[in-house]
Amino acid sequence: MKLRKLSTAVLAVLMCFSAVEGCSPTPGNGETSSSGRATIRLATWAGSEESKELQKIIDKLNSKSTSYKIVQESNPADYDTRIKTQLSGSSGPDVFWVSAQNASQLATRGAMLDITDYLKKSSNEAAKTSDYIGTTLNTFTVNNKIYGLPWCEQPVIMYYNKDLFDKLKVAEPTDSWDWNTFVEDAKKLTIDKNGKHYGESGFNKSQIVQWGTSLNGWPPVQMFIWQNNGDVISEDMKNCPIDTKEAIGGFKFYANLLNSPLVPTQQEIKDHGFDQMFKDGQVAMFMGGAADSLETQVKFNCEVSVVPAGPTGTKATFGDEDGMAINANTKNKDEAFKAFIDLTEAIQEWKVMPPRKSMNSLTVLDKQHLNRAKSMPEIEKSMSFARQYRYYDNYADWDDIFNKEIMDKIINGNDTNVESLVKSAKADLVSKLKK
Amino acid sequence: MNDSYITTFFHWISVAVALVLIAAGLYLFLHYIVRWHQKQALGLALVSPWIIGFAVFTAGPLVYSLYLSFTQYSLFGNPKWVGLQNYINLFTHDPQFWPSVKLTMLYALITVPIGVVGSLLIAILMNQKVRGIGIFRVIFYLPAVLPDVAVALIWRWLFNGHGLFNYLLSPFMHIMHVSNIDWFGKAQYVLPAFSIMSIWGIFGANAVIFLAALQEVSKSYYEVADLDGATKFQKLWFITIPLISPIILLQIIQGIIGALQIFSVAMFVRPTTSAGEFMNQLIYERGFTQMHMGEASSIAWFLFAIILIFTLLIFKSSTAWVYYESNIKR
Repeated sequence: MKLRKLSTAVLAVLMCFSAVEGCSPTPGNGETSSSGRATIRLATWAGSEESKELQKIIDKLNSKSTSYKIVQESNPADYDTRIKTQLSGSSGPDVFWVSAQNASQLATRGAMLDITDYLKKSSNEAAKTSDYIGTTLNTFTVNNKIYGLPWCEQPVIMYYNKDLFDKLKVAEPTDSWDWNTFVEDAKKLTIDKNGKHYGESGFNKSQIVQWGTSLNGWPPVQMFIWQNNGDVISEDMKNCPIDTKEAIGGFKFYANLLNSPLVPTQQEIKDHGFDQMFKDGQVAMFMGGAADSLETQVKFNCEVSVVPAGPTGTKATFGDEDGMAINANTKNKDEAFKAFIDLTEAIQEWKVMPPRKSMNSLTVLDKQHLNRAKSMPEIEKSMSFARQYRYYDNYADWDDIFNKEIMDKIINGNDTNVESLVKSAKADLVSKLKK
Repeated sequence: MNDSYITTFFHWISVAVALVLIAAGLYLFLHYIVRWHQKQALGLALVSPWIIGFAVFTAGPLVYSLYLSFTQYSLFGNPKWVGLQNYINLFTHDPQFWPSVKLTMLYALITVPIGVVGSLLIAILMNQKVRGIGIFRVIFYLPAVLPDVAVALIWRWLFNGHGLFNYLLSPFMHIMHVSNIDWFGKAQYVLPAFSIMSIWGIFGANAVIFLAALQEVSKSYYEVADLDGATKFQKLWFITIPLISPIILLQIIQGIIGALQIFSVAMFVRPTTSAGEFMNQLIYERGFTQMHMGEASSIAWFLFAIILIFTLLIFKSSTAWVYYESNIKR
């Protein structure tokens, strides 16, 4: 009898818990809290420092807004997998950061909210689509509908160790430098244990202590192909012109440079860290994203310049984009959009480089990024010829073949027979293009 | 406490309540309506939360993934039935599928025998009566409590360009004018590197299971063998191994399953794709990077079929070499 009474009591307590759960005070996705403000969950890949800076921005927006409260959920580890699974289920955030590659993939699958009409109605500066530079909106546009906005486009720029340039009496990069001058500079800056540079008599390539530059798949080969007037996906998305003379030239330049003594071996890069080798003064020129701000992180005199032009003078650089979107299944679309557009504008002011024309004047940029004022002119120039990949819904399939069948073999297989690699991969690549 | 934790707390409490109510309802239904014996009804009611958990979190997804393997599904929208197309593509068109099958199978075929023989030898050593054997056993068991990722980190460090392995090999490499080996960057080294890493598996849990089996072998067999003048090797070969052969069978099957399902260490070490990709890595890539859940499921079911075939073959062969005392006709 006692046992029965005890069981009844336990069950009663448990049922009370469950009843309380039903009227739990915390709202879920986009739901309105008792304070009348909608809670907007924001998923990001921000690391710990970046997340703290972002939180300051969010706190400011939250204090101003009477209709929403943004809650940051930062998960840098395996972010892409996490966001895809969350969005496919019912636990997705209201607003989320999205990389350029995932944007079209998620937009075409209905995971991102179509914000075209919201943008037209909004008075926020970030909603003016005509203010976005060049093709930066293309990444977030599918069938003329806009599904997200970029908050940063970071062109690849050249960071260089000015102290090493001065020490070895190498002229600093200018606007007119191209592949030839770049390679010549890299040769002078590649030094062995005895202080001899590449090409000098007695240079020992097995005892290099300082390299001219570094490549490990980054920056992408596409950048060099564009500089050589080629492309990897045609504009109409029907073909992969990777076997043209121009594209082959870009691949070859990349492969030859990567497998030359001017660049550390992939093993050395793995052991010492890609950008770390530059920070440690082991690599003289490093091609990194503008947002990497390496010049603010090193002890030596570091400057930036545009990347070298191709042999015919064509300037091109890769512009990596990051953006933000709204979960198509959010419960409170209007408030999610308000939070989204306010946050987009705030992040555009924070990150380098904002993808908007009105924000790209040096006066504005210098004010926003005081510690990088000296670098801004070169970054701004790079923005003018930055290009994006031609993303589409199944771009990941194409990219997988491109990397495995061509790039991985060049980078890790030391394969410089580009013609043969390209020939064998072309049919597979074309088959993965939009039908 | 943060609001979100309270919500989660109450959420799971309500799940527990629901399970208790279901169990109670099931008991009442079986006992009073179906007229089962009280003990039977109570037994089934008490295991029902586990049965529900198994059905929802294991059996359900398992069956669903089999269905998905015949569909085109990108995590969003509805799966589109494509019949055997995913399997046909894998077997005939996919340039990455067969290399990953080959790498995974070779890895299993190399590492499982090393693992089983190695852990048996370690267990035999740990079964010796020497001073401080307890300390040795604790030390040898330690790898079993270390997380995979921590172990992978250590191995990655050992295998890096200036790591221990390249340092030990440097005199030979110097003579042959070869630079440091890129263990996880070149196809010819990936398999040896992962096989060396698998030696780690001979310690820890496997050796302890063998040790328990060795201690179960009755001393009287050895005493009789001593009287007959058997050597140590003869005692090992004719007494120990036959008597612990059921445990060897268990270890081989577990080893094969574990080796074919290698994932966390490989994902952490991340050999370059030209060097090789294990099947589970390919599944992950297809499913979560490329969002082809149908293809990922078909690779998973092919992997399951391989494991099943291996397991059945080993079971089939076990009648010839596994000795069960219970099978002896008295």
